[in-house]
Amino acid sequence: MRGKCGLFFSSYRAEAGLFPSAFQKTCLGLFLAALCACPLVLDTYHVSILNVILIAVIGAAGLNLLTGVCGQISLGHGAFVGVGAYASALATLSGWPFVLSLLAGGLAAAATGMVFGLPSLRLKGIYLAIATLAAQLILEYLFLHATALTGGSNGLALDAPQILGFSFNTDTRIFYLILAVAVAVVLGVANIIRTRPGRAFVAIRDHHLSAEIAGVNLFAGKLSAFGVSAFLAGVAGCLWAHYTMFINPEQFGITLSISYLAMIVIGGLGSVIGAIMGAVFITLLPELLNLASGGLAGLFPDMSASLNALREGVFGLTLILFLIFEPEGLAHRWRLIKAYWKLYPFAH
Amino acid sequence: MKTWTKMLCAAALALLLPTLPTLVDTAALAAELKVGSTMDLSGPTSSVGQPYAKGIRDCVAWLNANGGVAGNTITLVEVDDAYNVQQGMAAYKRFVAQEKVVAVQGFGTAIVEALVKFAAKDQIPFFSASYSAHLADPASAPYNFFIAADYSTQLRAALKYFKDQWKEARAPKLAFTYPDAPYGLVPIAAGKQFAKELGFEVVGDETVDLKAIDATTQLLSLQKKAPDYTWIGGTTPSAAVMMKDAQKVGVKTTFFTNIWGSDENIFKLAGPAAEGGYSLQAAAVYGQDVPGMKVIQEVTKGEPQMTHYVRGFTSMLVLAEGIKKAAAKGKVDGQSIKEALETLRDFDPMGLTPAISYFPDDHRPSMAVFLYKMTGGKLVFAAKQELPRDKAWLGK
Repeated sequence: MRGKCGLFFSSYRAEAGLFPSAFQKTCLGLFLAALCACPLVLDTYHVSILNVILIAVIGAAGLNLLTGVCGQISLGHGAFVGVGAYASALATLSGWPFVLSLLAGGLAAAATGMVFGLPSLRLKGIYLAIATLAAQLILEYLFLHATALTGGSNGLALDAPQILGFSFNTDTRIFYLILAVAVAVVLGVANIIRTRPGRAFVAIRDHHLSAEIAGVNLFAGKLSAFGVSAFLAGVAGCLWAHYTMFINPEQFGITLSISYLAMIVIGGLGSVIGAIMGAVFITLLPELLNLASGGLAGLFPDMSASLNALREGVFGLTLILFLIFEPEGLAHRWRLIKAYWKLYPFAH
Repeated sequence: MKTWTKMLCAAALALLLPTLPTLVDTAALAAELKVGSTMDLSGPTSSVGQPYAKGIRDCVAWLNANGGVAGNTITLVEVDDAYNVQQGMAAYKRFVAQEKVVAVQGFGTAIVEALVKFAAKDQIPFFSASYSAHLADPASAPYNFFIAADYSTQLRAALKYFKDQWKEARAPKLAFTYPDAPYGLVPIAAGKQFAKELGFEVVGDETVDLKAIDATTQLLSLQKKAPDYTWIGGTTPSAAVMMKDAQKVGVKTTFFTNIWGSDENIFKLAGPAAEGGYSLQAAAVYGQDVPGMKVIQEVTKGEPQMTHYVRGFTSMLVLAEGIKKAAAKGKVDGQSIKEALETLRDFDPMGLTPAISYFPDDHRPSMAVFLYKMTGGKLVFAAKQELPRDKAWLGK
């Protein structure tokens, strides 16, 4: 990898650092500060969208680790989010403190993810996709029919999360909670990729036979990828459950799994920043289209019905165009933009 | 690279520009009350969501043309949520934070349920077309309202009607068919229990998917059990599949469907196979002889609408009545509208639905259901069946 001009390393440890230059650290610090200041200038509508985006970032970062980094496709991610949501809701309802519920949600999802990840030793690619699709269907069935635990079709209602007596009962308050978890998760995933198990994931993705020859335990590698990924899905589910304060089986359907897959594909497979960008993009696109069609309907009132139909089409079209013109995702485009400005105005 | 950036900028501008006129418009009107409307204009439920949304829209226009509500103009802020929880939630947050609405008209179950707690916290009366019984219990959903009897009450009322009609000495046989989804499962336990209390013999229990294109397997199994009455708890397309396959297989049973299980489209989809079935509805069908129908025919200029339209219209009418009552007492805000709605006693929305009452501890609008018989390609009013307001049934 090319370093920046004037950036030298005197140790491998420094070179492998997450943020090698002071400039990067400053940018990141400013970005986080700006995020923290958001609720001060934005109204609750915008803050609520940020909340949904951040929850999506956590889930997408998890799926990206499994599918993007380790190469194991999963169509069951939405259901793992659901497992985390239900497990943490049950924990909270039985009086556990929120932090423990968060862990319980994550661990329950991780355990479920590892069970359904077992076939990954034998199955690859499209076959694994079908096996994880089965996981999605089985879990959805359980959400609906394990009435004693999940409330079945009536769903589960719970209260806003509390930590040490402080209730996160407004959009702004819970924003900081979700932001803190999201930052921890993103840093965690970025670090996992730099560790030995993380490099093992990449080796498994690139060539499983070579990886095994190089001493990577395929089974342990794949299973831990499933576990960590589902853990993060569970954390996202826990935050979603405690944010909306009402969960029912319909929220964790196959469409959720597909939209997580769309996020990491649009964002750029295997890239942490890609998962973030994809989550932002997929969450914001319907809102922007809604805004546009709302505005256009104001100009042409007779067309509002066809505009709504058009909106769905535009959503699909945008995804197709992205796949054709940005096959490596938003993260790749981001790198190109950075490279362009690095050499500006002497582009060659 | 450069063209790409330009395209991006152009796209961003194109998206933002149309929003400007709406910003200007909203500042112009004085003495206005805003009502949010998050509707399924696209997505899986749009075939019923669109007429319902049109009913709300037309009712607002009609109210405004007739002097508004207690001197206020109602401004409807409509957003399409595509039956997607995240989009519905974003729409609701926008209504509350930016539009400062006093009440919301919602539609689908998944979204309404996800917003129950928010509506309670923000004190926003939330009308919806999701008639799950647990949303009528103010203990868990204090700000939720709807204008049709809940799914369980509808089913119970229909069972009562059929039992009263039953003349033979043996117990009538009853079968349930429903999709294995929250919407289909919600009234089943209540229905089975009440059927036993009434003296039905429950013989069959089949699941038919909402997207079913064939139900022969389920109907062959029903054929052996020969039910006299068969409940269809799906939507119109799956009900049509059931009816057509029943004719094919030769099952002789009287079908009765829930509120979303059949509408005017059933005759297009099932043709003569629909004949003799019953449709449970909460609102009048177009052209029915009730006082409010004149208003609707005038508003729609005689163009026939589905019964969902009438329900959307009535939902807005009931909300307007709440606003009127709240205004008579003083301040109009979410809380005062909720409290005013809870004083409604046998409010008659021009005969469009059974009379509506809400109580502080009971948000069941009525205990009555309209039964329509499918006759000659039309929904023909058969009966209005009413049940006592039994406390034990609240929320179940």
